[in-house]
Amino acid sequence: MRILVVEDDDIAAEYVRKGLMEAGHVVDLAPDGELGLEMARAADYDALVLDRMLPKRDGLSVLEEMRKDGDATPVLILSALGEVDQKVEGLRAGGDDYLAKPYSFTELLARVEAIGRRSDPTAAVTKLKCADLEMDLLARTVRRAGKNILLQPREFRLLECLMRNAGRVVTRTMLLEKVWDYHFDPQTNVIDVHISRLRGKIDKEFDEPLLHTVRGAGYRLQV
Amino acid sequence: MLSALSKLYKNTLFRLSLLGAVFFVVALFLALGNVYRLTISSEIRQVDKSLAAEVEEFQTLLDVGGLIPVSREIFLRSGSGDRHYLLTSKNQNGEDMVMGSLGEQIVTLKNQERTVIGEVGDADFTKVDFILVIPATDSEPAKERRMRGLSGYLQIDGKNVAAVVASRDVEVTMRTAERVKNAIFSSSAIALFLGLISSWYVSRKFTQRVEAFNRLATDVRAGHLDRRAPRNYSEDEMDLLAEHLNEMLDHIDRLMKAMRYAGDSIAHDLRSPLTRLRTRLETAATEIKDPQAEDTLFAAADDADELLKTFDSVLRIARLEAGERREMLSELNPKPILDDIAELYEPACEDVGLTFTSEIRDGHIISADRGLMSQAVSNLVENAIKYTPKGGAIHLSLLKNKEGRSEISIVDNGPGIPEGSRQRVKERFVRLDDSRSLPGSGLGLALVDAIADLHRAVFSLEDGMRHAATGRPGLAARLTFPRVRKVKSHASTATTKAS
Repeated sequence: MRILVVEDDDIAAEYVRKGLMEAGHVVDLAPDGELGLEMARAADYDALVLDRMLPKRDGLSVLEEMRKDGDATPVLILSALGEVDQKVEGLRAGGDDYLAKPYSFTELLARVEAIGRRSDPTAAVTKLKCADLEMDLLARTVRRAGKNILLQPREFRLLECLMRNAGRVVTRTMLLEKVWDYHFDPQTNVIDVHISRLRGKIDKEFDEPLLHTVRGAGYRLQV
Repeated sequence: MLSALSKLYKNTLFRLSLLGAVFFVVALFLALGNVYRLTISSEIRQVDKSLAAEVEEFQTLLDVGGLIPVSREIFLRSGSGDRHYLLTSKNQNGEDMVMGSLGEQIVTLKNQERTVIGEVGDADFTKVDFILVIPATDSEPAKERRMRGLSGYLQIDGKNVAAVVASRDVEVTMRTAERVKNAIFSSSAIALFLGLISSWYVSRKFTQRVEAFNRLATDVRAGHLDRRAPRNYSEDEMDLLAEHLNEMLDHIDRLMKAMRYAGDSIAHDLRSPLTRLRTRLETAATEIKDPQAEDTLFAAADDADELLKTFDSVLRIARLEAGERREMLSELNPKPILDDIAELYEPACEDVGLTFTSEIRDGHIISADRGLMSQAVSNLVENAIKYTPKGGAIHLSLLKNKEGRSEISIVDNGPGIPEGSRQRVKERFVRLDDSRSLPGSGLGLALVDAIADLHRAVFSLEDGMRHAATGRPGLAARLTFPRVRKVKSHASTATTKAS
């Protein structure tokens, strides 16, 4: 993907750039809002990482300006202002996702890749597939190697989220936000427990595990 | 009616102006009393004085010329004008001799028909009030006249020789006195009544203005720092109070904004370098090939996370306490929120060997924010999981309490919290000694408390389920919500804020 990172903190920007490049993406950097808007208009990016507090022009106004122009590039808003209401404000201004500082790079990478994929035309599918694991979103059924797997509604949504991001890391925070709609981090390992139950249903009786734990990051569905 | 009166009596201004009215009435009463004393009483005294002089005159006459001149004098004076007399003595033959106008007429003493003679004291002359009944004549009906008299014995050489009563008709004076008395009482009563009315009126007028201040205080407390006291620019003391209040609120508003700005700036300034720190540690951890160093680096990254979470919680509590998000509350059914929490934590409980049960009833409506509610309940459940030993039980419930209020309870059979510490644990960074060994920042319950406060809910800690085998008291954490009031002002408040 071609990604534009608008961030005034040089060191942070450099880290993000380096990390995204290592993950196989092409990255441009913009140090302030004015330049960021200019660059976003000039080239066609697959995703934008936009800091909220920027010199010259703040992130939200850049975003609003882009949306006014009809630019639908997916945007991940990045900010120290992590309160839920501000999150809502950011999403309302046209952001696709919101990440509060401090974020781990894996979290950022997972989210950028997730929003980048969202604009993919193949996103509006009714069937998801990962190796021999199949999910029918309309019939709400899951099969692996032709065998029906019964899931609770929440487990189904959990697996759906993982399958939509198959091959990529999905963080615990992302799961909490997307599956439970919680915008706070529990102190305990609740998500791990739910994952292990899901794992018991989709992996236990099969030779090859699909649901992997990525240390310090989250989970990944992969062959 | 009675409660309305007691409410009125609770009004300070009503009490003050009532006190003023009472003082005024007392002063009026005293002043009129003085008028009475200076007019009527002095007239009666005048009568007493002249009677005393007359009796003395009789004694002098007796001393000089014996009984004859006295009886002549009494005979002459009797019945002239308002004077009436009585003289009784014994003649040489020892027969009773009665002289004077009082002897022929009926005399009433204290409503009893008796002779005035009976009232004649042994020693000194005594004052005596009585009623003289003048019998009906052909032309006039019977008349009753109030009399003021002086009665006693005339003496020769220390021996009583004759009883004498000298009296004056004081009917006119007494009637005037009655009228004056009536005037005093009626005008005092009117003054008191008017005083009551004016107290009520003044207090009502004043209360309306004070009410405006009370509403303002309530609004400000609810987090609407943009409200100001109404002014009428009359520059009276209330208007000045409003002005000063508004200045104070402006100041507080400025300070709050400055604090918020400072908080946000700190958040921004601190989080950026901490994020970098975290990222560096994480990157180093994934790149390094030495598994031991990797562990250390991941642990360091987790520590940085912990630090930032604590920082986040502090900021979040501060914002909640400022009541900033109160307008985000909406009326909702808490059941789905609790169902979600129960579903999220049940497996986690089973995993650590705890029994999780729940009783979540439908049909509740509370004014709440889903995100905050979830966080508060999740904090309480996690607390229960953290402190309840393996084999214990946790029960989550949503019920109506005795007063019909919605109550969310998280009850466990863990070690509980001693009664004396229950208030303290709700403060920031307070951790009880027993829990220091467990991870945590001491902000969990403070956050719950702040969330409860924002929802105007009561957050209480009590004994929970007693663990039969060990005798542990357990802990019951309860959030009791106020009834949803159908008050329009809340809705209008929200709209003003939004506009």
